[in-house]
Amino acid sequence: MSRFAEPMSRLIEELKKLPGIGAKNAQRLAFHILRSSADDARALADAVRELKEKLRLCSICNNITDVDPCVYCASPTRNQRLVCVVEEPTNISSVEKTRSYNGVYHVLHGTLSPLHGVGPEDLRIGNLLLRVQASEVDEVILATNPTVEGEATAVYLADLLRSAQVKITRIATGVPAGSDIEYADEVTMARAMEGRHEV
Amino acid sequence: MIAHQAEAVVLRTWPLHEADQIVSLFTRDQGKIKGVAKAAMKSRRRFGGALEPMTYVRASYAEKPKQELVRLDSCEILSSPLSHPVDYVRAAVLAFFSEVLEDTLPDHDPQETVFRLLLAVLEYTRVEQPWMPLTYFALWVTRLMGWLPDLSRCVFCSVPLTGAAAFFHSQANGLFCAQHKHGGYSQLSFDSHALALRVFRSPISALVTEPWPRNRAVDLRRFALRSLERNMERKLTTAAVLSRLGG
Ligand SMILES: [Zn+2]
Ligand SMILES: [Zn+2]
Repeated sequence: MSRFAEPMSRLIEELKKLPGIGAKNAQRLAFHILRSSADDARALADAVRELKEKLRLCSICNNITDVDPCVYCASPTRNQRLVCVVEEPTNISSVEKTRSYNGVYHVLHGTLSPLHGVGPEDLRIGNLLLRVQASEVDEVILATNPTVEGEATAVYLADLLRSAQVKITRIATGVPAGSDIEYADEVTMARAMEGRHEV
Repeated sequence: MIAHQAEAVVLRTWPLHEADQIVSLFTRDQGKIKGVAKAAMKSRRRFGGALEPMTYVRASYAEKPKQELVRLDSCEILSSPLSHPVDYVRAAVLAFFSEVLEDTLPDHDPQETVFRLLLAVLEYTRVEQPWMPLTYFALWVTRLMGWLPDLSRCVFCSVPLTGAAAFFHSQANGLFCAQHKHGGYSQLSFDSHALALRVFRSPISALVTEPWPRNRAVDLRRFALRSLERNMERKLTTAAVLSRLGG
């Protein structure tokens, strides 16, 4: 039998599912929530619920958004014919930080990862192909991470897009090999974008 | 605290907390060890791309008494898989090396021959030539683990198989003569059998000069991967990917 009342152990069990949260931390957080005001506790619960209810993927670029299409895809001032392909939604902010990119995005939600059994069918590629085949795009910038998996994914996409009338470029290796663009500073990232080359 | 410096190949990494990583290293002197690379996700100065699996590095680490995980201080790249072009197949072959070694190597047990095998196959695993190093590695590692019998003779009756038909079964080790094969056995082609024997007699450098397209020795590759999986007693994720890519 649990040494906590049922609602308490239920919350602890849920918190333990979060990354980096062990049993000790889950207990600490659960007791903190118990001690906090009813308003604070409700605000937390509502925020969690609304996250799942209101956020979805943009039907054009797969970015996480509360409006479809997302702010980038709906923007009249952005170049909708220039598409930067990234692995994860969080990578968008790395490119945005450069303040020099005015195109739109495509989020794959992963990379080809043989070690984890992630193949092309597991990535979100379909709507990128549709956009390109409908001649809505002039250039696709492959900005996957400069890792073995990111490179393999970029080469795979380049081969897939090759038959279409589109310029395909890969970001320069100003981003150090083997690293994650999420951690690239804005100067490095800006240089990587400027130095992109055709593949 | 004991400080070490060792030649090693990075086998795998796992994220830990916000920006740390657990790194599995196959060191030349101490075999497989695991360590923590603090702030590895952010600190380019200390690790750069050195923690990419299958990077050959000189690692500096500190061993703390009574602690399983060493503290990885820095890694200097001696040779990176990223210094040559990468595609899906090459990435899958490199991942196969990682998965097999992470699973089969015992901790803290030097395996000099396996280490040299790994360096050799890494040198030749290229976009233009991925299938030969894969087959070479799979056969050799199965042999070095003590799981692969002499392929020049029937495992049942020891009759020499050179110049004769050789058969294999997904549930049995080694090769069989025509008399001792049963239902469900497949024949290993003559070319593949000859190649298998050459793999154990020749350095990889002697085999890379030959063209080895995807459809060459598919049966030998299948035999090698199955032998390895059966003896490891598990299905390898990367072997499934490679079967899809290469038949
Ligand atoms: Zn969008
Ligand atoms: Zn026999």
